[in-house]
Amino acid sequence: MSENKELFDLTGRLSRLCGTSGDEQGVRDFIISQLPAECTVTTDSIGDLIVFRKGAKAPDKKIMYCAHMDEVGFIVTYVCDDGRLKFAPVGGISPAVVFGRRVVFANGTVGVIAAKALHQLSSDEKEKQPKIEDLTIDIGAGNAEEARKYADQGDFCYFMSEYEEFGDGFIKGKALDDRAGCAVMLTMLNEELPYDAYFVFTVQEEIGTRGAQCAAFNVKPDIAVILETTTACDIAGSEDEKEVCRLGEGVVVSFMDRSTIYDRELYRLARQTAGEIGVKHQTKSLIAGGNDSGAVHKAVGGVRTAALSVPTRYLHSPACVMKKEDVTAVLETARELLKRLGEL
Amino acid sequence: MDEILEILCAADGVSGAEDSACEAARKLLAKYAPDAAADKFGCVTGFIGDRNNGKPTVMLEAHIDEIGFIVTYIDDDGFLKVGSCGGTDRRLYAAQTVTVHCGSGDIKGVICTLPPHVAKDGDKAPKTEDIAIDVGFPSREAAEKTVAPGDRVTIDNRLAKLIGTRRTAKALDDRAGVAAVLHALELVSGRELPYNIEVLFASQEEVGSRGAIISAFGSRADIALATDVSFAYTSDAKKHECGEMGKGAMIGISPVLDREITAELKKLAADKKIPYQTEVMGRDTGTDADDISVSRGGIRTGLISIPLKYMHTPVEVVDTEDIKAVGRLMAAFLTGGEADV
Repeated sequence: MSENKELFDLTGRLSRLCGTSGDEQGVRDFIISQLPAECTVTTDSIGDLIVFRKGAKAPDKKIMYCAHMDEVGFIVTYVCDDGRLKFAPVGGISPAVVFGRRVVFANGTVGVIAAKALHQLSSDEKEKQPKIEDLTIDIGAGNAEEARKYADQGDFCYFMSEYEEFGDGFIKGKALDDRAGCAVMLTMLNEELPYDAYFVFTVQEEIGTRGAQCAAFNVKPDIAVILETTTACDIAGSEDEKEVCRLGEGVVVSFMDRSTIYDRELYRLARQTAGEIGVKHQTKSLIAGGNDSGAVHKAVGGVRTAALSVPTRYLHSPACVMKKEDVTAVLETARELLKRLGEL
Repeated sequence: MDEILEILCAADGVSGAEDSACEAARKLLAKYAPDAAADKFGCVTGFIGDRNNGKPTVMLEAHIDEIGFIVTYIDDDGFLKVGSCGGTDRRLYAAQTVTVHCGSGDIKGVICTLPPHVAKDGDKAPKTEDIAIDVGFPSREAAEKTVAPGDRVTIDNRLAKLIGTRRTAKALDDRAGVAAVLHALELVSGRELPYNIEVLFASQEEVGSRGAIISAFGSRADIALATDVSFAYTSDAKKHECGEMGKGAMIGISPVLDREITAELKKLAADKKIPYQTEVMGRDTGTDADDISVSRGGIRTGLISIPLKYMHTPVEVVDTEDIKAVGRLMAAFLTGGEADV
């Protein structure tokens, strides 16, 4: 089996798992099941999975790779008398990708999110994107009592969306943010490493990088590399710097986003590393977004931090789109970077 | 019922390109009408009985097409621009997974809309002319090898079970109607009936009942019973403008519908204890019944609707008990109210 096929089999399996912030157990269990015996595995009190693997050499500086396990999802907040479920998003979800969707609960219950038909809308209403607080989940229940047998307050549910390959080497699915990063770390953990390293699969990134804050304290790294996804807007109707970054142009190495000004030397080293091994690389043309770096770089008196991201269209939707070669570019860069970081 | 709905909703049939849905419906109909066939206009017709037996003929009708998109243009970067076939709901476009039905087979895509940092009016529903479909091709040249203007696009959702007898899928408008007709035929199968039966699954309803107009011209029906979906009440709608899901067949009352047939349907439903409700319209019905009733010299027409939530979305919801009620009511009519159905 080629490396590529293994990487995307893994990405697909991870995409299909359901685990929003605070509900990462299933993802964590799967990742543990895929780890080789060489790894030392601990789970911290907030739920981060901290994996250590010895390499050929011990580095002078403690190195930590980091990707988050959680995805955006929904939580039931109230059961209406007529059996509809009020809900809140867990993580940032645009109302535009909520209307007209199916969701699924852990027990297999399916629900739909919609409202009265467009034929019944006033001309004003037709122009408006319905707000999440005005929407409900319909699981087919006739009243609250019936509904509660299937889904109750505090239950999580998820976009129903298939992981699929399409077009010219593209993939789509829910939760690729950041299961793609998890797939890259799992792939590295199943290889001989040049240097000892920690790989942290964090929780609660989507509600404020909360897991990473604890993980960084627990690991106390000198250097951190965050493996993430980042918004690509290289779509019809968008151009120039508004595209942010492009699919097919390789690993995104960030210099700054809304949460972090990245370590200047590591930023250069990451780009240089990708260039030297012939991997396409790019950066972001907009100061936007944020990730676990925001928590990690400020932890334990300061951690020098870099972020390597997969350019991704339609983040936080049921259909995140990536180009496979960009995921491979992140893997190859992350792998080579460990050698260079070990020598620092 | 689930099996039939699963087959019908899994098939695709955007207006003017109903082939796959026609074939699925034709196969199911052939069990009762062995000569069932699809015509050049995308309609499926079948006949049960004997043209020479002197009995009057009843047409059972539902539409076979569904709403969707049609590819109008492929841009330099390989994105597809589209137009609507029928009334698509602009509120749900963003990041929907779609299938583009190309000459060489189906391909997947995702609807792209501009995200908040680029869009001018982030809280407004996007216009159809402003969306594009991302099919994962890097250029027009690459896309053109597979996709062509005129290809149809559907937002896919196969049948899924909700609680009890509620089901969700795309295209339940009006595959639920097709299923109701098939259920009626199953109920009267093998019985001696006072009527011959014509079946019409009509194309292009969503763009203006064009299939029904074309096909009804060739019909020799004396009476037509049309079935389509209608609005089931949701808490944000007006109660008096909706039927209720799970409360049975919606018997249409409208100036365009035949009063005697409508009265007969109500009487049959009451006599046979078939769950029913009435849907009163002050004008035409917005269904194929409007055109069938004035076809040729006029066909006396009744309309029985199935309550459906979230019409013209990929998450339409029906209650299979309502579909069965419509089928039973049609069957009761076909038996002349004699036999128990």
